[in-house]
Amino acid sequence: MIIEISHFLSVLATGLFLLVGYFSILTPSSNSSYISNLIVRTYSHGFFFLLSSFLIYVWLAITDNFSVQYIANHSNTALPIFYKISSIWSAHEGSMFLWIVFLSLWGFLFNIRVKNNEVLKPKTMGVISFILVGFLIFLLATSNPFETILPIPPLNGADINPVLQDPALAIHPPTLYLGYVGFVIPFASAIAFLLYGDSKINWEALVKTWSVSAWVFLTVGITLGSWWAYYELGWGGYWFWDPVENVALMPWLAATAFIHSLGVSIKSSQLRIWTILLSILVFSLSLFGAFIVRSGIIDSVHAFANDPDRGLYLLGFIGLIVFTSVFLFILRLSSIQSLSRIKKFSKQSFISINNILFGALIFSVMLGVTYPLIYEFLFDQKISVGAPFYNAIFIPIVALAAIFLFFSVDSKWSRSINFKFISPPISFSILLSLAFTIFVMQYFESHSISILASIFAGSLIIFRYIYEIVNFIFTKKFINPFSVIAHMSLGLLLISISFNSLLSTERALSINLNTTESYKDLKISFKDIGVENNANYDSIKATFLVEDQTGRTFNLKPEKRRYFTRGQITTETAIHITFLRDIYITIGDQLDDGSWIVNIQINYLIRWIWLSALLMGLAGVILVFSNSVKT
Amino acid sequence: MNPIRKKRIYSILFVFLFSVSGISLILYSLNSNLDYFFTPTELKDRNIPADKRIKVGGMVLSGSVERISSSISFVITDYENSIKVEYEGIVPDLFKEDSGVVVLGNLRDKILYAEEVLAKHDENYMPPNIEINDDN
Amino acid sequence: MNLLLKLIVFIVPTIFLLLFFMILTNEDTYPGADYDQFQIPEFELKVLDNTMTVNNDLLNGDYVLNVWASWCITCIIEHPYLTSLSKNGIPVIGLNYKDEQEDAIIWLKKYGNPYQTILHDYKGNLALDLGVTGAPETFLISDGRVVAHYQGEVNDQIWNDVFLPIIKDRKMF
Repeated sequence: MIIEISHFLSVLATGLFLLVGYFSILTPSSNSSYISNLIVRTYSHGFFFLLSSFLIYVWLAITDNFSVQYIANHSNTALPIFYKISSIWSAHEGSMFLWIVFLSLWGFLFNIRVKNNEVLKPKTMGVISFILVGFLIFLLATSNPFETILPIPPLNGADINPVLQDPALAIHPPTLYLGYVGFVIPFASAIAFLLYGDSKINWEALVKTWSVSAWVFLTVGITLGSWWAYYELGWGGYWFWDPVENVALMPWLAATAFIHSLGVSIKSSQLRIWTILLSILVFSLSLFGAFIVRSGIIDSVHAFANDPDRGLYLLGFIGLIVFTSVFLFILRLSSIQSLSRIKKFSKQSFISINNILFGALIFSVMLGVTYPLIYEFLFDQKISVGAPFYNAIFIPIVALAAIFLFFSVDSKWSRSINFKFISPPISFSILLSLAFTIFVMQYFESHSISILASIFAGSLIIFRYIYEIVNFIFTKKFINPFSVIAHMSLGLLLISISFNSLLSTERALSINLNTTESYKDLKISFKDIGVENNANYDSIKATFLVEDQTGRTFNLKPEKRRYFTRGQITTETAIHITFLRDIYITIGDQLDDGSWIVNIQINYLIRWIWLSALLMGLAGVILVFSNSVKT
Repeated sequence: MNPIRKKRIYSILFVFLFSVSGISLILYSLNSNLDYFFTPTELKDRNIPADKRIKVGGMVLSGSVERISSSISFVITDYENSIKVEYEGIVPDLFKEDSGVVVLGNLRDKILYAEEVLAKHDENYMPPNIEINDDN
Repeated sequence: MNLLLKLIVFIVPTIFLLLFFMILTNEDTYPGADYDQFQIPEFELKVLDNTMTVNNDLLNGDYVLNVWASWCITCIIEHPYLTSLSKNGIPVIGLNYKDEQEDAIIWLKKYGNPYQTILHDYKGNLALDLGVTGAPETFLISDGRVVAHYQGEVNDQIWNDVFLPIIKDRKMF
């Protein structure tokens, strides 16, 4: 009975959202206060129905209600409550449900935070509601999470894939979803703006805080995913250019470009076309991500197995959204175009150039994701696009973008006068960065142009902003704290990634029990190996005593587990974290002579990569909070 | 032609040339960095330069696995043709004789020097259609 | 300039949409279905109740091989359909995959047994050779050769779309 209630509440919410969409977009007088009140209330009711439906579903999962097919398939009585809840988003139906609930949550927050007299509000709510209706129908018709098992539900539920029982895995999808769907706010407002076609409305100011918040979630979500892959999958890297990572990266790149041109459009309407196009692009790419993961056309660590009907429905719906927006954009293009030209060497000019560079990055990632599909479709030959392609594209373009960013610090809004390429801060930073790069070249004997270029570009940004900070301390010259933090973290990110690829090494050793091998500055003694029996798996657990050059010692205990029921084997890495590097050990097979193969990685500055990404997110958080204090 | 129109044509031309050259650069680097997927039979009549990374998929021939300290060598077969693989490092958990495997590496003198070995059933495994034809 | 921009924003998404539409509707990409044909590798397995050992020679003719386990929830969902296949005279043979014997027997008592014979593949060796990645998976076998393989739940739609064309083509059963 309770399952039917939950199901029914979702259906009811769909109906209410349809009403909101109808009243706000298809009735001519949607701005009368009566209609706009009606829209606000109906939306809130719809949201509460959907939220209650979801909360009941969570409760069903917690109480092990295995009459629900999805819960029986993805949860188990033996799981802790935390993982019973997170099992909801461990596969297609439940994660789609969560995705939609988050979408409606953003709409709800917008609904209560923005005043009713805001002219774009009713239509924005209408666009959000139509998107919700489309996805709810998709959920209920093609991937219904409320499907039940009759007549005899299983007793204990399924055996869970052990790789999925992990705290970072439990929280990174929701964070990412919050980021993806958060861009529905700028998208819907842009569409509302285009529907009105009145260029005097400043829609950009309305959505700034919302866009930055969504960007923060996306940034943090991607970082968490990268961290999870590092310690759980046992390959040791932080980024694999996996298709699903790529479909998260594309909206991030587009969103980064979007919030920059949003900043410009708020001050002057010069980049308005860019801003509108980017808001459409960000949301379309978020939807594209959902399509790629859920249609089953790409095989990946993350992909959900699927049937083609879902893919076709999603494709059709996304196509409808994209073409409606593009049609509106083309219709209104001439009336929203700004007549003033962008001046050379103004801040706007640098942001425009970097917009183009980011566009090239997005295009390349899109190509990398889709080209293998096209190629196989046309020539029946399997190909894959790996890291070398992305490196060849990303390193030069990001270095170039960093240099434009570097010069933009000196530029002024809307002014081209007095731009000097040789000023004290510029020469100061260039000299220091050159010195640092040459030092790296000599000391680490590196001659890789791409690494040196990235180090140079990263240090340019850092030194330039250090100069600004010093200037602020002594002369009180205004600096923008979020911009300083975000851009310095970008510099730190570039440098950490460069050093990581410059210094990190790995080696597979074969090592006998009670012997010592050395690798780089490490002495690794194989102390112990044994089989442990646990409730649902056996594990081979090794103990290594590692000594580094300073004489410090520590134990590392990598494991290999074999789970009984599915016979799944997982590798549990052992990681020793220090300030500058990680020592990362996984254990492999035993050889015929009794020795064991052990893989040792020394990963430099890997924590700094995630730290700088999180700092970027922090800059966004500061921006959001300082904005909400002001209003 | 009036100067405004002239300026406009120049700017269109500039945008056009700029985007064409940008796109061709991207396509060029895409083309030079593709990993092609082959089965041992498809590899037989093909001449592949040593600096080209390729993926080869098939089954691990039983009795072919040799381990020398931390490196491993084995033979991939599609039951018609085979190719020898050498690899330094840990093979995946599910790597074993008579099971599916995909190897990424460079081909030199009929030996595939592997950078990466993926076993079937691996979380990271991308199932290709390894056609094990025994029709003929 | 405006015209150029209008064209670009229209054409780029159109290309991608058409492309994905073509890929999705391409017949070969029925996810989970695999039409590679190959001889069943040699095997020797006990049946679930340990009464006899079965090898290649004992299993001949046309049949459906269904991979299942008591830990597999989708197998419960698939179960009624398999029962109806079996009632309609199609021989269904079970491959019990990485499962404890007692659990499997209890499961069959609870839900019913649609299988003519059940092989007990405790270590998953035969399954591995067949290319099984999980449960449920279903093979269509004709004279010792695999002629179709489907990963996931078999229902009416899958039976009609994936298996039936081959059965008609080869005049099986």
